[in-house]
Amino acid sequence: MIVVDGTLKTRLALWLLATVASLGLLLLVEAYLSATRAAERAYDSQLEAAALTIAEAVQWQDGQPLVEIPLAALQIIATRHQERVFYAVLDARGEPLSANLDLAIEKRWRDAAAERPSWHDADHRGQPWRLHGREFDSAGWETQDPVQIWVGHTLAGRRSLSGELFEHAVTRFLAMVLVAGLLMFLAMRVALAPMRRLRHQLRRRAADDMRPLDARVPRELQELAETLDNLFARQRNSRDALLRYTADASHQLKTPLAGLQSASELALKSEDPNAWRRALGEVHDGAARTSRLANQLLSLARLRHVADASRLAPVDLGALLRETLLEWADRDLAGAHDLGLAPLPARPVLVPGEPWALRELLGNLIDNALRYTPPGSEITLGLNDEEESVELYIEDDGPGVEPSRLARLHQPFERGGRQDTEGSGLGLAIVDSIARRHGAEWRVENRTPHGLRITLRFRRLPGASVA
Amino acid sequence: MRLLVVEDDPLIARSLEQALTPLGNTVEAFTRHADASAALRHDRFDLVLLDLGLPDGDGLALLGELRERGDTTPVLILTARDGIDDRVRGLDLGADDYLAKPFSLVELEARVRALLRRSQQRIDNRLRLGALCFDSVAGLAYLNDTALELPRRELALIEGLLLHAGNIAPREMLERRLFGFGEVGPNALEVYISRLRKRLQGSGLRIRTFRGLGYRLEEAEA
Repeated sequence: MIVVDGTLKTRLALWLLATVASLGLLLLVEAYLSATRAAERAYDSQLEAAALTIAEAVQWQDGQPLVEIPLAALQIIATRHQERVFYAVLDARGEPLSANLDLAIEKRWRDAAAERPSWHDADHRGQPWRLHGREFDSAGWETQDPVQIWVGHTLAGRRSLSGELFEHAVTRFLAMVLVAGLLMFLAMRVALAPMRRLRHQLRRRAADDMRPLDARVPRELQELAETLDNLFARQRNSRDALLRYTADASHQLKTPLAGLQSASELALKSEDPNAWRRALGEVHDGAARTSRLANQLLSLARLRHVADASRLAPVDLGALLRETLLEWADRDLAGAHDLGLAPLPARPVLVPGEPWALRELLGNLIDNALRYTPPGSEITLGLNDEEESVELYIEDDGPGVEPSRLARLHQPFERGGRQDTEGSGLGLAIVDSIARRHGAEWRVENRTPHGLRITLRFRRLPGASVA
Repeated sequence: MRLLVVEDDPLIARSLEQALTPLGNTVEAFTRHADASAALRHDRFDLVLLDLGLPDGDGLALLGELRERGDTTPVLILTARDGIDDRVRGLDLGADDYLAKPFSLVELEARVRALLRRSQQRIDNRLRLGALCFDSVAGLAYLNDTALELPRRELALIEGLLLHAGNIAPREMLERRLFGFGEVGPNALEVYISRLRKRLQGSGLRIRTFRGLGYRLEEAEA
């Protein structure tokens, strides 16, 4: 049975999607971080430029710094947004000489700025600020106390810049996903093309076309293609066997039919009632032989072509043997023979088997024994119960079979060198097929002083309980 | 006896008629399912010979219909299908016997005789074969209409053999009838059989032994 379990395309697409999604997440985090970093760096250097501009405008008069804040400096730090700006010029004690906001500069920041220009994040009236401070010495002959210049602004500019940068990164990423998806789709089509070609080729095949596949396939499909080829080869063989068998069978059917035809034709031409009588007898025998042959051909064909061994269930071989033998002993055909059953083992003998096939097997053994032995012969069937296996046998005190022919008896249309009976030569071929189905070994041997014994050895099921 | 033959092959239908009429039967043959079904609804027959592969319907359906009505007329199925499944299905639906085509007319006659005898016995409670008769109500056996004075086990043996008259009576069945479920020696049954054989000498009946299988009470060929 074929169960459809999703499509290869979906499966591939899902995996690719998962890969792209996790990679994308990493890329986005990275893009966000680098956008923020770039905006910080850009605006920090603007703060630095503003501080330098203010520093240049500091004048010294009588040892006192004079501060005139140049407009250009404020323009540098006020970005195009409604940015609030801050500036302060502090003297050596940290007292503001000039400032536009009462933003307190902490002592440790001032100490840090005395060392080297420094940047700090501050909080003023609930708003985050970015501050930059640097110390400035007058370059003159007289030594002055240094002043510190502090500038700062709110973060709106930075945020908008980093947002813009991030947006660009996201747009680029989405475009990439789109292009990659498109390429993936095309790649899947290209990669799956060999499968599509194989499918088309199989679909176009005629029902009885059993030639090997003629297709270019990638290595991944090689195994599948080889398996298919193998299947085709087996079907080819079984079809050939079937054709051979049909040819054999029709040949075999033709022989008795030809007999029927010529016997009836001769009788029709004759005027002698005795000749009619004789011909009628021949026609009757011929018809009986033909119908028996047809039956056997049918069961052999069924056995060969229903090779399903999974239906084996425990069968009580003893009960089956008794039942089949009772049925056969009652038949007209058995009237002239002494057909008997040897005492059966006391416990049930269970073997894995198909009851109909085993009945067919016994029927063919009994039928053969009845037809290939003269009237009055003693035919006995029985079971030898052993530990692991069970032996089913049939023996007669008829003429036996020429030793050189014993080995060929299981082949279809082999009559053990006898042409004097109604046999078709199919009986033991059927027995062979059924024995194989049941994994049973069988052998034929002559008895002394004369007679034939056929033994089949079945695997015995453990336990004596009948299922 | 009135026999109904449902068979669409004219050659087979004609030979059935020719074989069964000399046995003292009236044979009516139908080639179609519908006609046979109508005849069975309006008339009583003693035996139906039914071909399964009718052109206008399934023979098994006709059989099912018949049994559904509570009609117990014995039915012998004739068919070219020889699958065991079909056989089991037919017997499950209430067929009394089954004969696969092609069959020999001798075989057919024997089956027909057995079925007719069995249905007759159901009616008058007497088991009969040739000169031997067993009245199952009175528990008495008669040979040529003379009551036989017999011990219980010999009577049981006669009843067992007559129940299967014409067929093999399995030895396990006979042993259970005579000796119950206890352990019996291998020759115990044979002793009773040979006693009965002596009584039947000259009666036109004989008991044939089937080694390991059982015994068949049959009419000796003249």
